[in-house]
Amino acid sequence: MKIAARLLWLAAAIFALAAPLFLERGSLNDLWNLAFAVILASAWNLLGGFAGQVSLGYSAFLGIGAYTTVLLSLKDVNPFVTLPLGALLAAVFSVVIGLPAFRLRGPYFTIATIGVAEAVRVCASTVEFTGGSSGVRMPAASFDFNTNYFAMIALAIVTVALAAWVKNSAFGVALAAIKQDIDAAEAVGVNSTRFKLAAHALSAAIVGVAGGLYAIDFQYIAPASVFDFRLSLSIVLMPIIGGVGTVAGPLFGALIVNTLQIKLLSMPALRDSFLFVYGGLLIVVMLFEPQGFVGVGRRLRRLVHA
Amino acid sequence: MTSVLLNTLLAAGLYATMAYGLAIIYGVMRIINLAHAGVMMLGAYVAFALFTRFALDPFVSLVVVAPLFFLFGVVLYAAIGRRVAGAGATPSIESLLVLFGVWLVLQNFAYVIWTGDTQSILTAYTMKSIKVLGVRLGVPSVFVFLASVASLVFLNVLLKRTYLGKAIRAVTQNRDAALLYGVNANRISAVAFGLGSAFAGVAGAMLATLMAFTPDFGRSFLLKAFCIIVLGGMESVTGVAVGALVLAALENGLAAWTPVPTSLQDAVSFALLFVALVAFPQGLPGLFARFERRSAIR
Repeated sequence: MKIAARLLWLAAAIFALAAPLFLERGSLNDLWNLAFAVILASAWNLLGGFAGQVSLGYSAFLGIGAYTTVLLSLKDVNPFVTLPLGALLAAVFSVVIGLPAFRLRGPYFTIATIGVAEAVRVCASTVEFTGGSSGVRMPAASFDFNTNYFAMIALAIVTVALAAWVKNSAFGVALAAIKQDIDAAEAVGVNSTRFKLAAHALSAAIVGVAGGLYAIDFQYIAPASVFDFRLSLSIVLMPIIGGVGTVAGPLFGALIVNTLQIKLLSMPALRDSFLFVYGGLLIVVMLFEPQGFVGVGRRLRRLVHA
Repeated sequence: MTSVLLNTLLAAGLYATMAYGLAIIYGVMRIINLAHAGVMMLGAYVAFALFTRFALDPFVSLVVVAPLFFLFGVVLYAAIGRRVAGAGATPSIESLLVLFGVWLVLQNFAYVIWTGDTQSILTAYTMKSIKVLGVRLGVPSVFVFLASVASLVFLNVLLKRTYLGKAIRAVTQNRDAALLYGVNANRISAVAFGLGSAFAGVAGAMLATLMAFTPDFGRSFLLKAFCIIVLGGMESVTGVAVGALVLAALENGLAAWTPVPTSLQDAVSFALLFVALVAFPQGLPGLFARFERRSAIR
C-alpha cells in the first residue's frame, strides 16, 4: 500500500512534467491552474491542517508575492529572480503578524487574520505604488508559457513533497501536538509559538512564490484580484473539502474544487452558483465528515474490509 | 467639535445594533457567527424588496423585518446552529467554518434573486438634512439613530425585566448552572439565535437607507461588529455600547481631525480589531478592571 501510494505520487509528478509533450495548450492551462491550487492548498495545510491554526488571511501573502514580482520586473529585474524575495517578504510579514496573533487561540486567531488581510487589502487599494484600483501590468515580453508551466509544476511537487516530509518529521509531530492540545504540548516542552511561526512563515513563503508565478502568468494584477477575500476563501476551502491535516487531502480538494469550477463555468445556468456549492460543501463537510474527502475514503475502506 | 460628537453618537447607535446580534449569539452559544454578515446583507435586500414592491418605507418595514429575521434565526438554529453550539468556554473552529459556509450560501442566494448589481433605497428624505445644535445631519441617519435606540431599549428591557431575559443572561454566564436551575438552554439558544438574526436584519435594513449595497456587502460591517464586541469584552451589554462609541469616535475623529483619507478608514477599524484582540482580550472592561486592581494594590 505504502509503495503503491508512492508510485502513484511519482506517476502524477512525471505526468505533469511530461504533459507539454502530448497535451495541447488548453489542457496545459488546466494543469497549471490545478498546480497553482495544489500549491496554495498544501501550503495553507502546513499551518491550518497540521497545526490546526485556521487562517482566513492568506490572500495577503499571495498579494505580497505577486506585487514584489511585478514591481521589481518593472525595474528590469528578471521576474524569476524576484521570486525568492517575494517569498522572503511574505515570510517576514507572516512573522510580524504571527508574533502577536499566535497569542490568540482557535477562532479568535481566525478572526484576527480576516482583520489583517482586509486591512492589507484596503491599504493596498489606497496607496499609489500598487496602481490602486487600476492595478499594474508586467513589462511586455516577460512571459513564456513553458517556463512558467514548469516552474509552477515544480513548485507544486516541491510543496507536496515538503508537506509529506513535514508530516513525518519531528516538526510535524510538534505541530500535531499543538493541534491536539496546545497546553499539553507546552507542558511537554513544545515551544508552540516558535513552531506555529515556523509553519506560518514556511507556508507564507510558498504562497508568496506562487503569487509571483501567478503575476508572471496573468501579466496584470490589482489589489482587487490578488488581495481579494475570495482568494483566502478558496485557499481554505480546498484543504477542508479534501481532508484537512493530511498530505493527500489538499491535492484532492484542489482537484475537486478546480473540476467543479470548470464544470460550473461551462454550464450557463449554474455559472453563478459557485458560492452555493462552496458554502454547501463547507457546511456538509464540517457537519458530517470533518476529515473531508480523505475521511470518506477511509470510511469506505473500513466498510470494504469489515 | 459638536459635529464630530453628534456624528459619533449617530454612528454608534447603528454600530451597537449590529454588534448586539453578534454578542448575544456569542454569549449564549459560544459561536462566532460569520453568517451575521450574510444576514445583514439579506436584511438590506428585504428592506429593498419591500420598498420597491410595496412602496413600504424602510423604517416602517423594520416592523416586518425584525420578526421575519427572528424566525429566520430560529430556523437557522434548528437546522445548523444546534449542531455546532459549543458546550465549552471557548468557541470551536468548526462552528465558525460552518457558519462561514452559511454566509456564502446566503450571498449566492442574494446574487441569484437580486443579481450582483449595486442597489440602493432612495426615499423622499434620503437627500434631506436637518439642523441639530447648528450641525447639519442627514435625515436617514437621524432616523437610523432613533430606530437603533428603540431596538436597544427593547433589548435592554427584554434582558433586564423579563424571565426570558434572565434566562438568557443565566445561560450566558454559566450554561451548566443554568441547566441545573431548570433553564431550557436549548430553547434559550434558539431564541438567542433568533434575536441575533433579528438585530442583524434590522441593522442591515437600516444600513440600506444610508448607502448602496451589493450581495458582497456586510463583510466590513461584520469586522466592525467584531471589533466592537472584542472592545466590549465579548459578552457584556454595556461593553458593546462602549465599544460602539469608541469605534465610532475613532472613525469620526480620524475623518475630522487627521489627514487620513476616508478610503483608509476601514483599514483603521480592521487594524483596531487586530490590536484589540491581541492587546486586551478581556475588552475595555477587563482593561479598566486591571487598572483598578493595580491602583487598589497601591
